[in-house]
Amino acid sequence: LGDLREFGRRLLNAGRGRDMESGLDEEIRFHIDRQTEKNLKLGMSPSEARRQALVKFGGVERAKENTRDEFRPRVLEDFSRDLRYGVRTLMRAPGFALVSILTLGLGIGAAAAVFSVVHGVLLKPLSFPAPDRVVRVYQVNTYDGQTNQANFAEPNFVDVKAQNRSFSAMAELGGTSKASVTGEFEPNRAAVTPVSREFFDVVQVRPALGRAFAADDQREGATPTAIVSDAYWRRFLGARLDLRNLTLRSGAAVFQVVGVMPPGFDYPQATEIWIPRELEPPQIHRTGHNFSVIARLRDGVTAEQSIADLNRIARGLKQQYGDDTWMTGAIAIPLLEQLTQNARKPLFILLGAAAFLLVIACANVSNLQLVRAGSRRRELSVRLALGAGRWRVTRQLLAESIVLCVSGGLLGILFAYWGVRALLALQPVTVPRLDQVGINWVVVGVAFAISLVAAIALGLATTMRATGRDLRSTMTDGQRTMSGSRTQQRIRDALVVTQVALTLILLTGAGLLTRSFMQVLAVNPGYHTDNGFIIDLAFPDSDDPAAPVRYIRLQDEIMQRLAQVPGVAAVGGVNDFPLGGGWFPNGTFVEMTRPDELKSYDDFRKIRDDKSRLGTANYRVASEGYFRAMGIPLVKGRTFEATDAPDGQHVAVISESLAKTKWPNQDPIGKYIQFGNMDGDLRAFRIVGIVGEVREINVEVPPSPTFYGFYKQRVNAAGRFNIVAHGTDRPEAIATAQRIVRELDPELPVVVRTVSDAFGQSVSGRRFNLILIGVFSIAALVLATMGLYGVISYLVAQRTREIGIRLALGATSTDLGRMVLGHGAMLALVGTVVGLAGAFWLKSIISGLLFGVGMLDPVAIAGVIGLIGAAALTASYLPARRAMRVAPVITLRSE
Amino acid sequence: MARQKGDVLQGTIDMLVLKALQLEPMHGWGITERIEQWSESVLQLGQGTLYPALYRLERQGLIRSDWRTTENNRRARYYALTAAGRKHFAEELSHWERLSRAINLVLQTRTA
Repeated sequence: LGDLREFGRRLLNAGRGRDMESGLDEEIRFHIDRQTEKNLKLGMSPSEARRQALVKFGGVERAKENTRDEFRPRVLEDFSRDLRYGVRTLMRAPGFALVSILTLGLGIGAAAAVFSVVHGVLLKPLSFPAPDRVVRVYQVNTYDGQTNQANFAEPNFVDVKAQNRSFSAMAELGGTSKASVTGEFEPNRAAVTPVSREFFDVVQVRPALGRAFAADDQREGATPTAIVSDAYWRRFLGARLDLRNLTLRSGAAVFQVVGVMPPGFDYPQATEIWIPRELEPPQIHRTGHNFSVIARLRDGVTAEQSIADLNRIARGLKQQYGDDTWMTGAIAIPLLEQLTQNARKPLFILLGAAAFLLVIACANVSNLQLVRAGSRRRELSVRLALGAGRWRVTRQLLAESIVLCVSGGLLGILFAYWGVRALLALQPVTVPRLDQVGINWVVVGVAFAISLVAAIALGLATTMRATGRDLRSTMTDGQRTMSGSRTQQRIRDALVVTQVALTLILLTGAGLLTRSFMQVLAVNPGYHTDNGFIIDLAFPDSDDPAAPVRYIRLQDEIMQRLAQVPGVAAVGGVNDFPLGGGWFPNGTFVEMTRPDELKSYDDFRKIRDDKSRLGTANYRVASEGYFRAMGIPLVKGRTFEATDAPDGQHVAVISESLAKTKWPNQDPIGKYIQFGNMDGDLRAFRIVGIVGEVREINVEVPPSPTFYGFYKQRVNAAGRFNIVAHGTDRPEAIATAQRIVRELDPELPVVVRTVSDAFGQSVSGRRFNLILIGVFSIAALVLATMGLYGVISYLVAQRTREIGIRLALGATSTDLGRMVLGHGAMLALVGTVVGLAGAFWLKSIISGLLFGVGMLDPVAIAGVIGLIGAAALTASYLPARRAMRVAPVITLRSE
Repeated sequence: MARQKGDVLQGTIDMLVLKALQLEPMHGWGITERIEQWSESVLQLGQGTLYPALYRLERQGLIRSDWRTTENNRRARYYALTAAGRKHFAEELSHWERLSRAINLVLQTRTA
């Protein structure tokens, strides 16, 4: 410790080196002058006086040199000398250096890459002032004995906003929708979010250009205004600084652009256009949970305190409104936490996996260093004996470790840079805020910190093992006795066991995720997942009653012309396409005794209490060709036909699960249904057919009962329409399709994607996790195999003499091969057992990421053990063969 | 290397420097002079060892230095004891006294 303190003091003084140097000159000059004066007084001649003074001083340069030794620059000189020496030593062992640096680079690179994702997604604060004071508020509903958290109903929001004592500002946000926007620029689809009055007070971000909404913009009947994101403004509005005549058109509505937000602000959900929520009339139902609510905590109020406050208000509202509201409480979650809550666990698992890989990499390098230290022990002992201090030798070894680790760290940052680019290219939709991810200074700093910690750990570990023993015994024992290296061997064995165990855990994780992914891909989603493309259309809201009919006609025309495109085999359309195409609304319908039983909402309400007549289903409208184009099989009855006229009997097709749950043991065909609450059209449906199940949201979510109306009859629901063409996804066909839409309506923006892409995106989160864990575990397996190989090889090299003696004494080479293989097998076995114990612990952590695979999937576990076994065998086989070829005479002579 | 009379034993020079500074701050030459004087010219500090010792003691925090002007109007670095230096000197002194007494006892024992 004293050495360290000394080192610190020298380091502190390092900057003063130059001062002291010139000071010393002056000081010595002064000294000699005084001596000369004294000599003069004693009666010497001037030249003699000076000469005697110099003689007495005894060598100016030597004095300076000795004094200089007492101060600083030497430390840095020493250190850079150590580094240079370290580099030279490593250059003499290029294989060792290269393997070590690559291994460390791999470990540090993996850790840095995953850390950069964790940093960008989970740690980096949101781009608001004091972002930790912003919370997302949910109302907690209790309905039918079930409690769940939900968006706010507007009247509840209004009451909570008025009564709370916790928030300095509170705002509600309508759902973000992709609307078609036109104007004097290229038609496009923009993410539009209606925000209420205090939105900009909550986020505390103001437009960088123009203004926020004024009170006069925030009322029913006001001239519509809009604020746009910086990215949208640059991309579509030509970054025009003069906002005065800048308008956006969505259908008949014209929005005056009044402001542009600062770059990077796109809350919520990558919003491009914010509009005042107050343009629409207020909602009056306390069970219409349509608004996300965010709030800014007052100074000194914690999120927990605000929850108590909210619960108090909720209790009051429940007393006041009874069954009209379902709200019985509320919760507030810090916004960053809410945004990232689904990504948190998988990311931390990935970080853990990267940490495992790093430990395995360090263990490998440590093992390599040990092997080298073994052969350098004599060199180090000699140096110690010649008077080098232990600190000196430690510093030397530390310098070598630093050279290795810093090179490894630099390489790692390079790997991480490529790695992050590759990760981002996977575009996992389950990970939010990916735009924040990159190799920045924080990541570089962390990578460097990891390198230094690794360097110090490796350096000190090596020193302790290399210099910790009595000098004389080291110098004399050489290769002759085995006793000294037994501890060393044990440490190396322990390192390998650790590596095998960690690798097994990683491989088990990868195995389970692979099996899950295969299960996911094996699930029949109920429709074609390739060989087609989807045209996503959004028609603007319009007060014109003729507009929906016009949209239907346009859709029809597009579909007819699309059917003529070469390669297209079938065309159909639906309002909400599976795999992330829409809202997926569902609702409650009523089974009717006769077609005209219910003609108004009042009739509806009258039988609402008769639960046996109610049912819940997804509500979709589709074209007649939809089921064929999607490959959804017709189970019974018929689908829609061109003869189902808009003013004729409205017909419906239901999914098998709806038939089974609502009408078990009955034939639903011919039944009459009232589902007008979904689109405001109270004409009854007659069920004409049953079709196959569809996994809509993604293939991992089980299908739910679904109801299809005919889009020509239910025109109100067709504001969003997805046309799917099956048979080809060639770029020419897609280009033709885009041209067709543009010809028919030049103002309608076209968004086209292939079915394969849409499906790929729906499994992208899973693929992301799998690829990462997979790559890590393969890397871990390679490293662990190398580690095992290294240890067994070293063992054979160390015991060559012993093997020779054994052979001379009559052991067969098979015995010896078995002995070496046995050692490798033993290490692998112990590692496997330890790893399996760890894997049990792992499973409880990753169980949430599994799909259709048991916690103890025998295929995955057997596969992993097989892999480890094969790796261990490979790693031990070569050294074993070497042992078997030992020629006794040569070994005995080798000393 | 043969040891000459007047060479200062290694390790004792630090003690002598601390002792010389006990009364007042001094520059390097002054320290040499004082030690020579007190030792009746027996002890002559090799200058090659004085300055390293001064820098070492300063680094260890036992003395501190600053530049002052001498009576002849020249700039010189003056060294002064710190509190730690005083304490250290007291310890060294008692240690030295014990040691030298012990050595004397051994050397003066009559061995017929």
